[in-house]
Amino acid sequence: MYKTVLILKYLLKRRIAWVSLAAVVLCTTMVLVVISVMGGWLTMFKQSFHGLTGDIIVKNYSLTGFPYYQEMIDRIEKVDGVAAAVPEVETFGLFNIGSVPTAEVDVIGVPIDKIGQVNAFPSSLHRQYQLPEEMLKDPTLPADLRKQMEEQMKGPPSFALLDRCSVALASLPGDVRLANLPKAVAKRFWFDAAAGKLVFKGVMSSDEQTLLRGLSQDSAFKSDIDRLYNISNGGQVVDYQAEFPRSKQDVTKWPGLIAGLGVLYIHRDRNGEWISPLGSRMPVPGDPGLYGTPATLTVLGFHPGQSSIDPNNKSERNYWIVDDSRTQIWQYDNHYVYVPFEQLQSDLGMAAQPATLDTGEKITLPARTTEIHIRMKPEFSSDEALAAVKPKIEKIVNEVMREKEGDDVADSSRPDVETWLESQAMWINAIENEKLLTVLLFAIISVVAIFLIFCVFYMIVVEKTKDIGTIKSVGATSAGVAGIFLGYGLVLGVTGALLAMLASYGIVHNINELHALMGKWLGVQIWNPEVYLFDKIPNTMSTQDLIVIPSIAVLASVLGALLPAIRAARMNPVEALRWE
Amino acid sequence: MPQALENPTAADPKLDRGILRAVKIQKSYKMGDQIQPVLKEVNLVVQAGEFVAIEGRSGSGKSTLLHILGALDTPNNGSIEYQGEDIARLSGAARSRLRNTQFGFVFQFYHLLPEMNVTENTLLGPMIEHSWFAFRSRKAELRERAIGVLKELGMDHRLRHRPSQLSGGERQRVAIARALMNSPKVLLADEPTGNLDAETGSQIMTVLEKLHREQGQTIVMVTHDRALARQADRVLVIKDGRLDRAGAQT
Repeated sequence: MYKTVLILKYLLKRRIAWVSLAAVVLCTTMVLVVISVMGGWLTMFKQSFHGLTGDIIVKNYSLTGFPYYQEMIDRIEKVDGVAAAVPEVETFGLFNIGSVPTAEVDVIGVPIDKIGQVNAFPSSLHRQYQLPEEMLKDPTLPADLRKQMEEQMKGPPSFALLDRCSVALASLPGDVRLANLPKAVAKRFWFDAAAGKLVFKGVMSSDEQTLLRGLSQDSAFKSDIDRLYNISNGGQVVDYQAEFPRSKQDVTKWPGLIAGLGVLYIHRDRNGEWISPLGSRMPVPGDPGLYGTPATLTVLGFHPGQSSIDPNNKSERNYWIVDDSRTQIWQYDNHYVYVPFEQLQSDLGMAAQPATLDTGEKITLPARTTEIHIRMKPEFSSDEALAAVKPKIEKIVNEVMREKEGDDVADSSRPDVETWLESQAMWINAIENEKLLTVLLFAIISVVAIFLIFCVFYMIVVEKTKDIGTIKSVGATSAGVAGIFLGYGLVLGVTGALLAMLASYGIVHNINELHALMGKWLGVQIWNPEVYLFDKIPNTMSTQDLIVIPSIAVLASVLGALLPAIRAARMNPVEALRWE
Repeated sequence: MPQALENPTAADPKLDRGILRAVKIQKSYKMGDQIQPVLKEVNLVVQAGEFVAIEGRSGSGKSTLLHILGALDTPNNGSIEYQGEDIARLSGAARSRLRNTQFGFVFQFYHLLPEMNVTENTLLGPMIEHSWFAFRSRKAELRERAIGVLKELGMDHRLRHRPSQLSGGERQRVAIARALMNSPKVLLADEPTGNLDAETGSQIMTVLEKLHREQGQTIVMVTHDRALARQADRVLVIKDGRLDRAGAQT
C-alpha cells in the first residue's frame, strides 16, 4: 500500500519528475508520428502502386512492345487462380489544351471496359466514381439523380462524354420560372441549390437550348445555358472548333481522354486551396466545365513490325477530356493521360496491319502491346502464391513466342514477367530502408529519455535518502523500497505513453491540416509531393505500432529508474537516517 | 519493577532473559584506514514493561546500540535476542517485518515523510504491513485507530496538516503516534527531546512516561541529558564502548 501512496505522492508533488514525463511523452510521440507517417507512406505507396497494376505484369521495356498478346492472354486466363488479364499500351506524348503550353506526358492506352478487372484504376476517376460517391452522401439528392449515380457507379468506366452536364452558377436570376418549362424538359433540367449548379441530363438539342435561354433575361444565365449546351454530347462546340483549325473531324466523334489531375495544371496550394496557374479559363476540379474541354495529344508511331520510330508516323489527335484521374500518386497524377487502347495502338502503328514481305508474300503483322496486367483471384494473391504462378506465366509467354516466331526469337523482344512487388522493387525497397533508418535514428534520439529519467530519479533518490531511511526503520524491505522507484518509473512510463498515444493520434490524424497551417504561418513546406509522390501526408496509425512503441517507452522508463531503485534498495537505513 | 541485568554472561542462568537481550555486542566503523571501535562489549537485558534510559555523551555509541537493538543495524560480533530469537541471524525481510510489527522508533529529528499529512504518516506502519487490498479493506478501522492514537497524544486537531505545518513538539508527537500505531512490544527512542526546547521536551517525556506507566510500554531511550534519563526505571551509562549501571530509578 505504501508504495502506491508514495508513488502517487511523488508523482504529484515532485515536479522535477514531470521533466521525465515530458521527455517520455515527447520521445514516444516523436517515434510514433515518424513511424506512422513513414509506415503509412510505405503502405499507401504499396497499395496505390498495386492499385494501378495487376498482381503480375508481362512487360517489354521497349516502347514497341511485343506481339501475340491476345494469344498469351487467352492461355494465361486459363491458369488456375488467374481472374483476368488485360493489355495496356504505354508510350510518351505531347499534351496540349487549347492555347496552354504543351506538356510532355506518359500516355496509357487502356481497354476501359476491362481495366477494372485487373486494377483499381476506375476508382481514381473523379467524374465517374469519386463525384457520384460524394454526391450520394447528400441526403437531399433528388431520387432520380440518386438512382442514376448508383447505376453509374455499378457500371464499368467509359471514355464517353457526359450524359449529365452541369455548370456552376453564382446565383439563380430572380426572373427564372422553371414551372413554365414543358414537362419533358423540366424533368431533365434542374437547379441544384446545394451545389449552386444548373444541371442538364442527356443531350441538349438546340430547341431546348433556346427554350432554356428564354427562361430569363439575365445574360450570365443565358451564357450558362450555352455552356451546358456546348458540353453536352449534342453540342456543336463552335468555339472549340475555332481553337482547333487543323481538325477536319466532326468534333462529336473525337475520342475521350482521361487526364491525371496535375496534367491539367490543377493542384492545391500550401493552404490546401485548389488553384490553376492557367487562370480563370481553366476550371477547377468539381466544376463539370472541366469535362468537355478539347485537348490535343501527339504521339510518335513506329515502322510497322520494327522497333524504330517512324518520323512520318506522327499522330496528332484531338480528344475530349471526359474525366480526371486522382490516384493520389503524384507521379501518376502529374504525368499520365489515359486514352482508348485501340486508338493509341492504332496511332502508334501497333495495331494489326497488312504488310508485304520482300518475297512479295502478303501477310498480316500482329497487333502489339507493351504490357499485360494479370489479376489473381483473392485466394491466390499472396506473395507466395504470386511467386508460384509467375513461372507458369513465364512458360506461357515463352511458348507463345516460340510457337509464333521460332526458337531464334531475340531476347530483347521477349517480354519479362514480374510480380507487382518486383515491378516496384526499386521504389519499395528504398522506402523500406528509409523508414527503417529514420525510425532507428529517432529511436536512438529517444534513448535520451532513459538517461533523463535516470538523472531525475537519481536526484530524487539522493534527495529522499532520509525518507528511505525512515520507511526502512518503519519496516519497509529493500525490495519494497526498490518497488517504490520502479513503480514510480512504471507510472511515469505508462502516463507518458498514454499521453504520447493521445498526442500522436491527434498529430497524425490532423497532420495534413497542421502541415497546411505550418505553410500558412511559417511558410514551411516539409512534405513535398514531388519528392514523396503523394499529395497528402499519410494520416493513419497501425495498431501494432500503437501497442509496441508505447510498451517500449514504458520499459525504457522502468529501465531508467532501475539503477536509482537499486541504489535506494541497497541503502543502509542507519546511514540514510544520518544523511546530511 | 523488573530485574535489570547488564552482564548476562556472568549471570545466573535462572535469571529472566528479558524481552530484548544483547550479548557481547561489538561494533566498529571504518574511518579511512583506521577502524574506530564504538561498542566494545555491550551486554544488556531489557525486561518487558521496563523503561530503560541509556545515557552517554555525543559519539559514545548510544544511538548505534539503539539501532542494533531495534534490528536497524547489525553488530560486528555478539548476538541480539528478541524474545529468545537471535535477530542478527534473521534475513533482511524478516528483520524488516520485526521493525514493522514489534519495534517502534522515535528519532531526534522526527523523520516524518514531508509529502504525507499527519494521518498518513501515522498510518505508515500499517501501510507497509498490509497489501493494497488488505489495507483498503481495513482502512476505516486503521484510520480510526490512527486518529485514536493521535487523540491520545493531543494531535487529533492536526490530522490533515503536513509536517512542515507543525511545530517541533507536534512533529515528535506524530512520530510517537507512528511508532505506536502497530502496537510495538518495544519503543526505541533516540534523543526524543534532543531537538526540542525544555518545555516541549518535558511534554514529550511526560507522554513517554504515561505510555510506560499506564500501558506498560517497554521503552529504551538514549539521551545525553542526565535529568531526562533519571525519569526512566533504570539508567545505564555508555562510556568507552561499554555499558555501566548508573542506578535504577524508582
